Amino acid sequence: MREVTLASVRVYARRYVAAVVAVTLAVAFIVTTNALTSATKAGLVADLGASFAGAEVVVTGAGSVGNAARLVDTADAAGGRAAVNALTWTSASVDGHVIADDAEIGTIASGAATGLRWQTLVDGAYPGPGEVAVDEQEATARGIAVGDTVTLGSGKDALELAVSGTVDSSTGPHGASAYVTWPDFAVVGSTGIVHDVVARGVSVDDLDAALPQRYGVQPVDDFLATAQKEMTRGVDVIAVMLLVFASIALFVSVLVIANTFTVLLAQRQRDFALLRCVGATRRQVLRAVRLEALLVGAGSATLGLLVGTLFGHGLVAAASALFPAVPVGAVELSPVWLGGGWLLGVLVTLSASLLPARRGSRVAPLAALRPDHAVVVRSRAGRGRIALAALALWVGSALLWLSITSHQLAPMLAGGFVSFVGILLLGPIVVPLAIRLVGVVLGRVAGTAGRLAVANAVRNPRRTAATTASLLVGVTLITGMVVGMATIRTNVDQEMDQQYPLDLTLTGSQVLDGGLADDVRAIAGVEAVQPVGGGTVELRGKGLDLGATTVLAPPSDVRGIVRGDHAFVHPGPDEVYLPWEAYNASGYSEGMTVAAVVDGEKTVLKARVADGIGDVAVVAPETLDGLVTSTAERALWIRVDDGADAEDVTGALAALARATDTEASGGFPDRAWVDLQLDVMLGAVVAMLAVGVVIAVVGVGSTLGLSVLERTREHALLRALGLTRRRLRFTLSAEAVLLAGVAGVLGAALGTVYAWIGVEAVVGEAIGQVSLVVPWAQVVLVAVAAAVAGLLAGVLPSRRAATVSPAAGLAAD
Amino acid sequence: MAPTTTPLTFEAAIDRPQSAASTRGLTRTYGTGETRVHALVDVDLDVPAGTFTAVMGPSGSGKSTLMHCLAGLDTPTSGTVTVAGVEISGMKDNQLTVFRRDHIGFVFQAFNLLPMLTAKQNILLPLELAGRSPDADWLALVVDVLGIGDRLRHRPDEMSGGQQQRVALARGLVARPTLLFADEPTGNLDSHASAEVLGFLRRSVRELGQTVVMVTHDPDAAAYADHLVRIEDGRVASQGPVA
Ligand SMILES: Nc1ncnc2c1ncn2[C@@H]1O[C@H](COP(=O)(O)OP(=O)(O)OP(=O)(O)O)[C@@H](O)[C@H]1O
Ligand SMILES: [Mg+2]
Repeated sequence: MREVTLASVRVYARRYVAAVVAVTLAVAFIVTTNALTSATKAGLVADLGASFAGAEVVVTGAGSVGNAARLVDTADAAGGRAAVNALTWTSASVDGHVIADDAEIGTIASGAATGLRWQTLVDGAYPGPGEVAVDEQEATARGIAVGDTVTLGSGKDALELAVSGTVDSSTGPHGASAYVTWPDFAVVGSTGIVHDVVARGVSVDDLDAALPQRYGVQPVDDFLATAQKEMTRGVDVIAVMLLVFASIALFVSVLVIANTFTVLLAQRQRDFALLRCVGATRRQVLRAVRLEALLVGAGSATLGLLVGTLFGHGLVAAASALFPAVPVGAVELSPVWLGGGWLLGVLVTLSASLLPARRGSRVAPLAALRPDHAVVVRSRAGRGRIALAALALWVGSALLWLSITSHQLAPMLAGGFVSFVGILLLGPIVVPLAIRLVGVVLGRVAGTAGRLAVANAVRNPRRTAATTASLLVGVTLITGMVVGMATIRTNVDQEMDQQYPLDLTLTGSQVLDGGLADDVRAIAGVEAVQPVGGGTVELRGKGLDLGATTVLAPPSDVRGIVRGDHAFVHPGPDEVYLPWEAYNASGYSEGMTVAAVVDGEKTVLKARVADGIGDVAVVAPETLDGLVTSTAERALWIRVDDGADAEDVTGALAALARATDTEASGGFPDRAWVDLQLDVMLGAVVAMLAVGVVIAVVGVGSTLGLSVLERTREHALLRALGLTRRRLRFTLSAEAVLLAGVAGVLGAALGTVYAWIGVEAVVGEAIGQVSLVVPWAQVVLVAVAAAVAGLLAGVLPSRRAATVSPAAGLAAD
Repeated sequence: MAPTTTPLTFEAAIDRPQSAASTRGLTRTYGTGETRVHALVDVDLDVPAGTFTAVMGPSGSGKSTLMHCLAGLDTPTSGTVTVAGVEISGMKDNQLTVFRRDHIGFVFQAFNLLPMLTAKQNILLPLELAGRSPDADWLALVVDVLGIGDRLRHRPDEMSGGQQQRVALARGLVARPTLLFADEPTGNLDSHASAEVLGFLRRSVRELGQTVVMVTHDPDAAAYADHLVRIEDGRVASQGPVA
């Protein structure tokens, strides 16, 4: 029998293409995941180690800068050298010009402790007391050169430091924009945070003995190992998430492989019958088929390892070339992952072939003697299947209902899976029905060829359902993600509308230049500009940190400008809206009053709070008229196109602000950033799920290709009877589109339903009342994409079918 | 050209001036070099209209090849084939396909019907493909003559072999092709069913005025024909009316 198996694999190798592609992709997915996570971890860890160059002992738990100073003294007393890794934020100015409000200032070891210095010099010299080293990238960005004088901090704690050099210190846990020596840091950074204290030349035990119990003293290697574990835990979480997608791809693979085997073995019934005729037992036939599956699985899994390794290395190389700032290390594939992935691939193939092999080998020897050559596979949904489907649907729905009422994730996942299995079981009934419905239209539009396509698509309901099932999984998941994400996004958007009512604002302390509004309108991405009148008023009140303030009075209609509904758009007659920041430590309280003083004349107003209006106060136009003698254009409120590039727009506006001595601010960059995060997340998830869809589409193409082989005589007959080659190709393509399109539409519908359940169950509790948002265009796009994928999958089979010679139908074969 | 066939051809041409199909110098060669097979060599043949022609000969003599060439299913290596006054050798695939569906009908030995269509759908398929609507009276007559009226809604696997062949025959007749080809139409049938199908073929010629070309091994089957062509080694050994 061994020769039979080997010969079969050789002869039918090409027919296994779908199974091979499915397993290869799924295994490659796993290997690529390993490659990416190992490289990411290596990158993180390499960086971490670089920040502890020269250290032998690490002391943690110092807390304050004052404590750290005492630690250094203790280490010195114990015969070693110690340095503090600390960070503070302070204002920085060059030539009296503030270049940063919150510059990150770190420490650099100096003097006797230079052995603990981890930064590497790029230009100039390492700093001593009274000097500062600036991170090279920061220096380039801010135009700071060696020899400049930088002032850190303000008031009595201000320090004037000379820039001694630039250093390479890009990332890592101790990274900062500039580094000063420890004595200087004690002055500017007394309120800073201490990462850790590192020491050398002193043993762990000696230092531990010299220090109170509450400090943690560890050898640097132990410390790094713990820190690495903590840092890479995040990567592991991502790895697990990637594996979830890999298992979806594996699940789709199982469907595709099982279907491939079913079709293939059905076509070889005569071979098996003949084997039985010449004396093979059923067990022998079954074993031969299993061995065949094993060979296919092992071959594809090996191919998967190769493809995954290549792809993983390629991705990492591309990532480090494209994003030099992202720390990626070397790819290090672990034998556990490789072995596990390979084994999984083989097991998936074997288990997927189990049922088809049993069914396929259960053939009577007599079948070989029957004259009929055509493979007549008819299948209907049995009662047992329907009962099982009903049970699965019932249990699944109950679990889903439970998840909605209890807002829990576990029953949702279980219910989703069980109910989906129920739907897949019903496939042989539902899918052909759906195809017939669509077929009515197709038959009308495309005539005989269309009707033939429909008849072909539904002639074997189980095969039809099995072919569409894999695609259905992918499309359902993708639609679910798209709809769920759109819903979350809409809710986030509404929340952001509350936080960021104004996209961008341009506010002047004087009357704005007349042409400024037009200049702003000319910026690409600006949708609308609303000039707002105002004046300068002195505002005073208990608990207020204000003085001369720009008071704006927006016109009554700013709907096209302001996002969401906000009270500050229509202030009451004696109300004044102030930003949160205007209230000092005692904060805003209901009923607070504010005195508006103009030329010694006082008007009392009720204080209110508004989010995101900038550094201004807002009153009604009548109120403003009562305060100042004349109002003039003082601010521009700007609405930006949703799709505009935040950096471009804000950059252009900032340039305009500098040129006209006005101030630009607004919530659009934050909003765009959040939107981008959501987009990236959705994109990543859809890309991961797309792997499953690719596998499914290959499965559709392969099943069609196999069907074409078994329909050779039919096609020859049709050609003899006058079906042109083009129409025959059309028939096959139409069948492919029907299968994939119906899977697409069903999947889109199911995905929407599951998304609704998911939103109710998971987000419902967090946000409260959420309404499902269905992005129709995107959902339709997903369904259409599935149909187009089907069209592509049908290209090769239909070409093949069209090459059948009409005379072949008459050959006695 | 075998000298013995010339007078017969000449005679036939005088007796029946219009022929439904004819070949001149028809040659069909398969393969190249060592494996070259001359399936048909320089065949001159006339199929008179309104006759029931049987093609006989030993296995491998080229009967099926001749029929494929006559029916426009295969392209000759050289020579011409004319059907209904139109030269079809040298036509492009698309032209041939359209020509076939307008002028030629088929009944095969086995696997005549599409399994997913009902008997009626199978019968009407050629008309549908040609975009023609069936002549209801003609359809009723054919169905009636063949006695398959109560089988029209059945699928092929729900019918006996003889019934399937009669449905195939109905399909061949319903479009009123210039030529109806049958390749071993009774190869899979018992003697009773064979007699039925052959009887219908003869009736279709006598009563419906159809031209039929049938390939067969079976002398009993050939006895239903009124015209006989003998092929040997890819050459026409004899052709003429059955005595
Ligand atoms: N596709 C082909 N390739 C090569 N040779 C072929 C091909 N088809 C037919 N032949 C050869 O051409 C010759 C005639 O074949 P054909 O099928 O016409 O014979 P036949 O008279 O129909 O035989 P049978 O009575 O067995 O059906 C045979 O020698 C056959 O081997
Ligand atoms: Mg033959």
